[in-house]
Amino acid sequence: MDELELLKKDWKKQDADYPKLTYQEIYKLIHKKSSSVVKWIFIICIAEFLFWGFINLLIPESYFEIYEKFHLKTLLNTSYILHYAVSIGFIYLFYKNYNAICVIDSTSLLMKKIIKTRKTVNYYVYYNIILSVILSFVVNFVMFSDANLLVEVFNPDNKPIDVDTFFNILLIAQIIGLLVMVGLLWLYYRIVYGILLKKLTKNYKELETLE
Amino acid sequence: MTKDLEHKFISEFQENQNIIHKVCRIYTNNQEAHNDLFQEITIQLWKAYPKFRGDSKLSTWMYRIGLNTAITLYRKSKRSIITQDFDSVLHRIQSTDYDNTEEEQLKVMYKAIHQLSDIDKALIFLYLEDKNYKEISETIGISEVNARVKMNRIKTRLRTILNP
Repeated sequence: MDELELLKKDWKKQDADYPKLTYQEIYKLIHKKSSSVVKWIFIICIAEFLFWGFINLLIPESYFEIYEKFHLKTLLNTSYILHYAVSIGFIYLFYKNYNAICVIDSTSLLMKKIIKTRKTVNYYVYYNIILSVILSFVVNFVMFSDANLLVEVFNPDNKPIDVDTFFNILLIAQIIGLLVMVGLLWLYYRIVYGILLKKLTKNYKELETLE
Repeated sequence: MTKDLEHKFISEFQENQNIIHKVCRIYTNNQEAHNDLFQEITIQLWKAYPKFRGDSKLSTWMYRIGLNTAITLYRKSKRSIITQDFDSVLHRIQSTDYDNTEEEQLKVMYKAIHQLSDIDKALIFLYLEDKNYKEISETIGISEVNARVKMNRIKTRLRTILNP
């Protein structure tokens, strides 16, 4: 007999062997918590929205005084308003995509929808990174173009300092800060994708190569 | 209302629970993983049940959610095992008596199936469940032609494993 026929025969035979769960056992099962990828993506995405939403609030008040001296406050306030409008847009898109995830869809459509939801939030994070980089460039440009004021602001007691060294330290500190931020983000995404979406992306790619 | 729905779901699930066991059999190779996946599929079925309209057969609907959960949604967790009885019965299955050569052959087949990719497992599962190519292509979301091509490859692969 053909091996596959043998397998099929055996497959049909196994029906009687499985345990029948009782009503109570099923009842208990359906009240347990799911640990699905979609649930985790939802939690992580919400955490990302909260993180990027609140990170602005962490800037100490004294910084705003500095910005005011450089006449940057209007620029920054406008960018905040725009930023929150864009964020709301992203949250809406995320919600829409998340709601569209439907476990009854075909496997490939389901994967597509999950990836789309996740991508919305990825774009949101990219947007935040790009915005921070652009803003910090603008702010730095304005601040460094008024060297006297910069020294005055960071050295209010007028201690004798070497202006060149001071500028270099300031610049290097900012570059290191930026690198650390990017590094942490990279690590974070490696972990999130590594743990959560590796299987899904692999399977999705396999389906894609089929079509 | 929820109670009624719950009651209806549990009764219907009880009738068809073998489908889920079979999905777990294809996708897992130990007791704990089997139970864990079984639990996750059951939860997903229950979550989706309010939207089940009855325009497709309940079993078809269960195949879809079962496979989708195994391929896409499921993540291994370290949850406690459902019940003791459940365990011991499943344990018995693994030692059912076959005649020797057949048993050996089947062992090798199941081992080979466990080495297939998640997508290939879905195809072979639906083949074993006697689903036609139309249903297979709709469940997985690939064209019928591609489903055929892919299935033939898997069959050839399984045959050559046994007859190298």
